Amino acid sequence: MPASSSPRPVAYLDHGATSWPKPEQVVHAVTRALTDLGGNPGRGAYAMALAASRAIFESRRTCAELLGVPDSSDLIFQPSCTAGCNLMLKGTLKPGDRVVVGSMEHNAVARPLEHLARTGIEVVVVQGDRTGLVDPDDVEREVRAAPTRAVVCQHASNLTGTIQLIGDLADIAHEHGALMLVDGAQGAGHVDVDIGVLGVDAYATSGHKGMLGPQGVGLLYLSPDLDVRTQVEGGTGGGGSESPDMPIERPDRYEAGTANTPGIVGLGAGAAFLIAEGARQHRRETELVYQLIEGISQIEGFRVLGPPAGAPRVPIVSAVHERLEADRIAFALDRTYGIAARAGLHCAPWAHRTIGTVDCGAVRLGVGWGNTSEHIGLALRALREIVTS
Amino acid sequence: MSGRPLRTFAVLGFATTHTALAAEQLLRDLGVPVTPIPAPASIGNGLCGIALRLEPGDVERADTLLERAELRVAARGDIEDV
Repeated sequence: MPASSSPRPVAYLDHGATSWPKPEQVVHAVTRALTDLGGNPGRGAYAMALAASRAIFESRRTCAELLGVPDSSDLIFQPSCTAGCNLMLKGTLKPGDRVVVGSMEHNAVARPLEHLARTGIEVVVVQGDRTGLVDPDDVEREVRAAPTRAVVCQHASNLTGTIQLIGDLADIAHEHGALMLVDGAQGAGHVDVDIGVLGVDAYATSGHKGMLGPQGVGLLYLSPDLDVRTQVEGGTGGGGSESPDMPIERPDRYEAGTANTPGIVGLGAGAAFLIAEGARQHRRETELVYQLIEGISQIEGFRVLGPPAGAPRVPIVSAVHERLEADRIAFALDRTYGIAARAGLHCAPWAHRTIGTVDCGAVRLGVGWGNTSEHIGLALRALREIVTS
Repeated sequence: MSGRPLRTFAVLGFATTHTALAAEQLLRDLGVPVTPIPAPASIGNGLCGIALRLEPGDVERADTLLERAELRVAARGDIEDV
């Protein structure tokens, strides 16, 4: 039983939703932003505003270094990955365009595309397989079928942890004159991301999941050659204030309004942490995921979703039980054992439909920074007891 | 009231705060002293963020370094010491 009334879990296994706890450096950076960097960044030249501007500048550069973005001004801060996906899609697609998208997408992409489909954009969905993988050959077949403006795909599934073959998809897209647009919410921070190597035209990601920053901040990389229409207009604090139009220069073109200094600075601290510790962290996550998959697979009645054990995946393990509903399992994990996990459709009905779990949902355990083998052991013991009780 | 004679500085303005701070870092790293100041309305281009103030004698070198780094100066002018 949880020892106190604190909402803090005994074992936090919902990193697919958001990371917790945060590295000390992130907490310190956010605290410093609130105490010492209170000026409005980019709006004044007095010391505290300038300090906030510099902190954001450095955070952007650190994130660019982590993600392999050559020019940090191509990296746009957004309120979330969802906001970044909306800008990436609505800013590039227009009525009459055709877009080819994988069937494992989260609602951050699925809903904007469903909306765009009602405005005259043709959306062609390529079915993934039962492990969640979208086969590049299937995508190529669709891209060949008709002129296509963009291929859209997630980097990794928030349901199955499946890592999509983004480099191959980007090659296919470009070979046929299409853009490659990526929702990297579950990618950045959990797998090495090198934008230059991936060769994508746009890559949106969350700041608070694998990147270890606070909630309320996301990132969007836009290729220097990509002309994206603005979706939000307003003050930027920079040049051309008298113009009725947004500046053409990045990042200001896509960052109207006061920046989220605490969030951005915290995200920068998370990125710096990952630059130093990322490789070790990825190894640890991989070990824990293997322990989790092996353990769940040995509990009678459970079926682990996604790639087979040993295949690459981001640290997400979802499972269904032949008898017990996912919501009941998650509720018991929380109430009886103090273990935080998420049940349901995970804002990814397309993905659940793809792998055949849309009617029952799944219980998802997301591993991340701060997790230990003990946490996994507690979760496995709890799952065993829940299904036998 | 008598005081010291006013000095004239050069001012460089940039389209974004990001570019201004990149320019500041570059110039300082390469030995060109600059001071961020509120962008003066007098240099035009509707700048309302920060600009960089520097010695007039350093402008030519600064221009060379900024051009090499592809950091575009959006506006320029002079300002008297304040």
